[in-house]
Amino acid sequence: MTRPRTLLVDDPVLERSPFGSSHPFRAERGALTRALLEACGALHQDEVADVERLDERLLGAVHEQAYLEALIRAGRGERVDDARTFGLGTSDCPVVPGMHRVAMRAADATVSAAELVASGAAQRAVHLTGGLHHAHRARASGFCLVNDLALAIEHLTRRRGLRVAYVDVDVHHGDGVQGIFWERADVLTVSVHQSGRTLFPGTGAEDEIGAGAGRGFAVNLPLAPFIDDAGYLAAFDALVPTALSAFGPDVIVLQAGADAHWRDPLAQLSLSGDGLDAVYGRVIDLAERCCEGRMVVTGGGGYDAWRSVPRAWARLWARLAERELPDELPETWRRAWGERLGVSLPTRLREGTLPDLDARATERAASHALAVAKRVAARLTPLWRRED
Amino acid sequence: MLVRDVMTVNVIAIGPEMPIRDVAALMEMRRVRHFPILEDDEQGEARLVGIVSDRDLRAVDSPHPSARPDVHVSDPVRSIMVTPVATAHPDDAAEDVAAWLREYRVGALPVLDGEQLVGIVSPPDLLAALALPAAIREPSSVLEVEVGNRPGCLAALLQTLAQHGLNVSQLTTTRAEPEIGCFIVRVNTIDAPRVAGNLTREGWTVLWPEPDAAPPASPQRGPEVEEVA
Repeated sequence: MTRPRTLLVDDPVLERSPFGSSHPFRAERGALTRALLEACGALHQDEVADVERLDERLLGAVHEQAYLEALIRAGRGERVDDARTFGLGTSDCPVVPGMHRVAMRAADATVSAAELVASGAAQRAVHLTGGLHHAHRARASGFCLVNDLALAIEHLTRRRGLRVAYVDVDVHHGDGVQGIFWERADVLTVSVHQSGRTLFPGTGAEDEIGAGAGRGFAVNLPLAPFIDDAGYLAAFDALVPTALSAFGPDVIVLQAGADAHWRDPLAQLSLSGDGLDAVYGRVIDLAERCCEGRMVVTGGGGYDAWRSVPRAWARLWARLAERELPDELPETWRRAWGERLGVSLPTRLREGTLPDLDARATERAASHALAVAKRVAARLTPLWRRED
Repeated sequence: MLVRDVMTVNVIAIGPEMPIRDVAALMEMRRVRHFPILEDDEQGEARLVGIVSDRDLRAVDSPHPSARPDVHVSDPVRSIMVTPVATAHPDDAAEDVAAWLREYRVGALPVLDGEQLVGIVSPPDLLAALALPAAIREPSSVLEVEVGNRPGCLAALLQTLAQHGLNVSQLTTTRAEPEIGCFIVRVNTIDAPRVAGNLTREGWTVLWPEPDAAPPASPQRGPEVEEVA
């Protein structure tokens, strides 16, 4: 049996965070994961693809011109009077010289991944430093400047005529992507996240379903804090497979944020490393069933950056490329990257510690999540059946 | 928030002589549950004389214990309308009207400005308005903070948030005790645990989210201790 052709899109620029090294968004997570995969022999040189420059016109289809101009001017160190109305110069998105170039490069990389899949050069393509789902049409937000996912989806739909199912398992609601495709019936957006009642950005309630032609094509599954693996997966299974098979995508775009992990310092869900791996596995299986395995995959959030994230994303790659990873992680990787980052890196692929869960809280969260998933499925199923 | 801001202004009123069966058909067609009933006075001015609900209509010619044997669907609605009518004024507070609906055990209040019917207010109108303080106005995180019930305490919290460069897009209170209030604040950052940590270190009691650990000595080196397998 031959392996699916899976490619990793990467570029040295992508190791840099647009906001500099003291900001909590750690762009090095991608390089750290790549290094781990190489040290494990699970990623070969011929599986790495270069970043192609994207067509500037694509940018204009996703972002408002005034915002792009403000972003570029701010990144060049020019004065932008209304920066804050564009979400720039905030504590999440401070103005840093050159930030626009790093953000655009990340967007190039995700669009490159999309084109590799659209052209058939790869069945699956991955860009680990992408997944900047909070960038809105005219507003930077939540560490995100340019919405690489929306650009890739725009490329797949408008340039390549494909139907795209976007699946976002980042712990935060995928508000930017949802908003940009709010009225589109050729893009299904699905976001599974910690509820906006307790977490940024506040949106992603179950009654957000899209509007106009896109009514029914935004799907949200908000979850209560402290939900565990079993609760998450049961709710996911009650909604997402039905939505995807009803929609019938040509390709799935997965935002694989790793911040639903229990150790993540920015959120309060209680998934284990195995749980996250199972979630990624679910989406890969769905792609296999719905669209011959075609997937464009990005990273996303993940702020337990040196411990949970590289393990989660290495396992994600291993699933996508059908490789085995050793449980004992290579000493060469631990030493080189531990020194470089000044941290102690994990010794094993699987975590030795599991979250200390309050059974009552996880049970309540699970029961609620299942009820929400069933309600959303019941409400949206008639809309998905609509034939036009 | 005032009744005039939340009421339904496209109110459908009927006359007292309309037969009950026609009233029921009209109510079904317009998908409402109440009709104010207007009748001209001697000067030819329309006056509110009664109100009828879907529940009043359903009791007619039914085996319901409260049904009156002398009233039939062909009778004018005047025979079953409720009068006098509890009403609200456009400048009443929406919060007060919410309490009156429970107190009077009615489903809607016609809104009168002087003698003129200008609207009707019912629970859906009020719920939409009263849920507004919880609406998400911009991408933001929620903080739940205890604030002393003394002059300047809330101002000090807002001042602190401003000093951290944060915009407050929502402020609601969930618990008000004599000494302490509990405020929900929405601020424009994804990194709420860091804000909670900063507030805690400055002496505030933050109930949500859990504050982050002490700030790293060097921003490059977060506290990272690997668990023992």
